[in-house]
Amino acid sequence: MNLAWKEMKKNKVRFLILGSIIFLVSFLTFIISGLANGLSQDNAALIKDLPKGQFYMAEDADGTFNLSRINSDLQQKVISKEKEAVAFSIQMGFLNDQDDKQQSVAFVTSTESTLFSNVHQDEVLLDSSLQDKGIQVGDILTNNQYSGKFIVKGFVEQKKYSHAPVAYISEEAYQEMYRVADKQLIFVPNSEPNDIKGLQAYSNKEFLNTIPSYNAEQLSLNMIIWFLVVISGMLFAIFFYMMNVQKIGLYGILKAIGLKTSKLFKMIWTQMAIITIFSLVVSVSLSQLFNIVAPKGMPFTLTIGTTTQLSVVFLLIGFIGATLSGMQIKKIEPLQAIQQGEA
Amino acid sequence: MTLFTIDEVRKTFKNGEVEEEILKGINLSLNEGEITALVGASGSGKSTLLTIAAGLQPATAGQVLFEEQNLTTMKTDQVRKLRASKFGFVFQFAHLVPFLTVEEQLLLMLDVAESPLKKNEQKYEVNRLLKLVGMEHRKTAYPSSLSGGEKQRVAIARAIIHQPKVLFADEPTASLDSQRSKEIMLLLKELTKTLNITTLMVTHDEEMLTYTDRIIRMSDGVVLTNTMY
Repeated sequence: MNLAWKEMKKNKVRFLILGSIIFLVSFLTFIISGLANGLSQDNAALIKDLPKGQFYMAEDADGTFNLSRINSDLQQKVISKEKEAVAFSIQMGFLNDQDDKQQSVAFVTSTESTLFSNVHQDEVLLDSSLQDKGIQVGDILTNNQYSGKFIVKGFVEQKKYSHAPVAYISEEAYQEMYRVADKQLIFVPNSEPNDIKGLQAYSNKEFLNTIPSYNAEQLSLNMIIWFLVVISGMLFAIFFYMMNVQKIGLYGILKAIGLKTSKLFKMIWTQMAIITIFSLVVSVSLSQLFNIVAPKGMPFTLTIGTTTQLSVVFLLIGFIGATLSGMQIKKIEPLQAIQQGEA
Repeated sequence: MTLFTIDEVRKTFKNGEVEEEILKGINLSLNEGEITALVGASGSGKSTLLTIAAGLQPATAGQVLFEEQNLTTMKTDQVRKLRASKFGFVFQFAHLVPFLTVEEQLLLMLDVAESPLKKNEQKYEVNRLLKLVGMEHRKTAYPSSLSGGEKQRVAIARAIIHQPKVLFADEPTASLDSQRSKEIMLLLKELTKTLNITTLMVTHDEEMLTYTDRIIRMSDGVVLTNTMY
């Protein structure tokens, strides 16, 4: 007999309250997670979209790629050895549009590679967020440090660095603007760290953590997410505990007539699973809907993978919470329940 | 024929540093189909004796034999199985499951007792028993809508639906008025005689003793008299 379902059917309000709390907490977690991922993309999509591999920067830069200088000889040495390797540089700067309005961008230049967009001199390829600000293909943009003019060649989707849209420029333009022929970094995709004299290797994750503010931002947001997950687990435990306390007499009588303790646990787990799955279906649907309708300027990215991962964690936490609260069932003495009077 | 033997059963409770002996070496046997009443003043040990006999708490010394099985040496799960399949319980309060209908209360007991009956046979048996206790017309009702007497009738039906060998009843009429108490006792007597169920009942209501076959009077943890009628 499905006791769990029968109890839920009879006490709809009680279980709806518990379900709505789980829904609210999980929905909030999904939204915060979407914002965390969105900010992470906004901060480092340029790097995050690269395949797994190794980043190399000058050893004496001490983990700060802005200070890294890799000369042409060393670049050539690595690139000739590793066919897919690419040397590149990133610098924050400004582009002036036709109305002389300044747009903050991250200038990126690289050696020839399929991993980065390459343009001719006097051309620029921009992140599509600038298109939303009114810049169009064929527009002429300028920079105070560059004697020539940039013609907008096109737009690329979701290429950002340090919360600024990326602007791909040629090596020649970069050299003129920053007066340096050296590159800051070399990236070798799908490879293990190699011992290269004068260079220090970083994995994708290690390199992301060298980006100023990235680590602190992600740590704070992840902390919020995990706090919410833990809080929802505690809510489960507290709610089931309160419900169990009210039912101690009933459990005692059921144990007295011979019902197995494992069946009572099965009852709690089934109720927990039904409430959690129902709440998660609603919150996942709503958060995915929000993913679609979120304002364009809002950094919000919520993948199915992330929601699935978090949903599994919620189920696991719910299971632990319900089990902890159910531990008291093991201790219930049928005799006490009989002597207590009507449940 | 003896179905149940209680042999030199003692029960001691510790109250801080003080040890209190509630049962002081009880000996008695229950015969098949008999209704035995345990009577005595409060604190005489009658309820403790009933719960030890039912396997709801262990004895400090002595043994309880049911069909030659010693309950006092059995593991917890073995005792649970025995309670589920061979024993039935009626308490002072009905203790029905609040979210199950009258019919479902009985189906749950069959489920607990791991009844070999098929679903349709179980439903038939439930209907038959509800008719016997006069509750067939309330089979879809929840406990909250039943009167005290109706609840106790359902509790009796639940206690015997799986055809137990022994029925333990702890003050089954204590929460009812005298008219309802008589009705319930009459019903208990009829059913246990029809189904040949051995009954051990605790009561302090002298009026209810007219429905029993044997009366055991207890005082201060010992049996004073054991009278067969």
